[in-house]
Amino acid sequence: MLAFLDRAHSVAPRNYSRWLVPPAALAIHLCIGQVYAFSVFKIPLTKLIGITAPVKDQDWTQGQLAWIFSVAIFVLGASAALFGKWMEKNGPRKAMFVAACCFGGGFLVAALGVAIHNIWVVYLGYGVLGGIGLGIGYISPVSTLVKWFPDRPGMATGMAIMGFGGGAMIGSPLAVNLMHYFATPTSVGVVPTMITMGIVYFCFMLFGVFAVRVPPIGWMPDGYAPPLKSTGLVTTANVTADQAPKTRQFWLLWIILCVNVTAGIGILEQASPMIQEMFLTPRGLATIDPGNAAQVAVVAKNTALVAGGFVGLLSLFNMLGRFFWSSLSDFTGRKAIYFVYLLLGPVCYFLIPMAGRMGSVPFFVCLCLLILTMYGGGFATIPAYLRDLFGTAEVGAIHGRLITSWSVAGILGPQLVNGIREYQLAHHAAPVDVYAPTMYLMCGLLLIGAVCNFFVGPVDARHHVSETGYAPSGSATPAAKKS
Amino acid sequence: MSTQPGRSSDPEPTQVPGATGFVILSWLWVGLPLAWGVYQTILKSMALFH
Repeated sequence: MLAFLDRAHSVAPRNYSRWLVPPAALAIHLCIGQVYAFSVFKIPLTKLIGITAPVKDQDWTQGQLAWIFSVAIFVLGASAALFGKWMEKNGPRKAMFVAACCFGGGFLVAALGVAIHNIWVVYLGYGVLGGIGLGIGYISPVSTLVKWFPDRPGMATGMAIMGFGGGAMIGSPLAVNLMHYFATPTSVGVVPTMITMGIVYFCFMLFGVFAVRVPPIGWMPDGYAPPLKSTGLVTTANVTADQAPKTRQFWLLWIILCVNVTAGIGILEQASPMIQEMFLTPRGLATIDPGNAAQVAVVAKNTALVAGGFVGLLSLFNMLGRFFWSSLSDFTGRKAIYFVYLLLGPVCYFLIPMAGRMGSVPFFVCLCLLILTMYGGGFATIPAYLRDLFGTAEVGAIHGRLITSWSVAGILGPQLVNGIREYQLAHHAAPVDVYAPTMYLMCGLLLIGAVCNFFVGPVDARHHVSETGYAPSGSATPAAKKS
Repeated sequence: MSTQPGRSSDPEPTQVPGATGFVILSWLWVGLPLAWGVYQTILKSMALFH
């Protein structure tokens, strides 16, 4: 019954338009990108028993709930690495279907955990099961997209991965509105919200399952002549997913992605407290009597509102940067665009403390927005960079293994930036100085990434798969020629 | 852009609707929720400019 999910049954018919593949990919990524909006559940989840306020020793704490996101991101990287080859073998359609089942099912299991008030079931549901859906879903369209768009791989993967950035912008207001709708005097409305979102996301992702197709072997866009031999970093050969981690280039890209993610987290984690503590709160307090509790409360509420708007704007630019920079890389080349991220980025980070000392909110906001576009661009351009270096044959599986660096950065990054902030606060640093060391650290990390990018060169021919050594699964690319 | 006759050993593909209308509907399917999300985000961000 489910044979239609196989790669062999997913080959595109003659009148299939390749422009159906990006919406299929977006249908997956717009859903799984919801993970970045999981924080909207955190406050309601701390009031499941108390309803209006947390009940000490009975309701869950913020610390316990923080692990749900961390587990999900860790499992995302692990499952992408583990199931990448399975995905290449079975094709995008089956992978998308499994991702939809896991991600939608993860919501349902998490809802059960919330209903019986067992945090471990929530970890298992949203963290582990949902995390598997995230990992498989994230890599599922990449390989297919670069095969359909050999002429514009950066634009194609940028469109899909843009969806992951946009998912939070849908998931956040959707969850808030649903919880508002389902809330009663005896419930915060999380359980029905999670059930609804699980079903809605599953159905939405099914569109991707039905729409996606793989190109027939040897298919090329009209008017596109593929290069006959490798030029610069762009290879015509293929490297397998098992062989790729044995190359220097794989680990250089691993470090580049890791530092790019860590640096982005440096802003994302601290954007809200930074704008509040460096600009809004001092200005607000300067206009009122600091001894008046009611006025202080109004200032706190207004600054939180503005900071929320700022974080929303960051999400928007994160999403736009994924498409813009990745598409631009088709013209500039991948290495050049990463030099932009890794050299312009440090300049922006270096200027942030200066913006704080100048007291210039517009300057600060512009710097953060530019940084977030490059953070998103770093994510979106990586698949095309991998395709250039390792060929198209198993690029999805190689991408899966590379994004283990995201898991590492996703766990270590927040610990690092929050640790520095806590240390500075404990030593009574001025608001600007609380964040300055983190910004300078991010400069250093990105410069390390720039050095790694400098050393990225073509993959040695001994890593290429021989003409007889690679048997394409289904309709993957033809066997590679040894260069 | 449509696929060219395959040089493929894959099973003979079947004809499915691949018309421009289906492509437009597909983009609307993903574009409308995304546009709603972007609109909600911009509304929220307005606080920054007031």
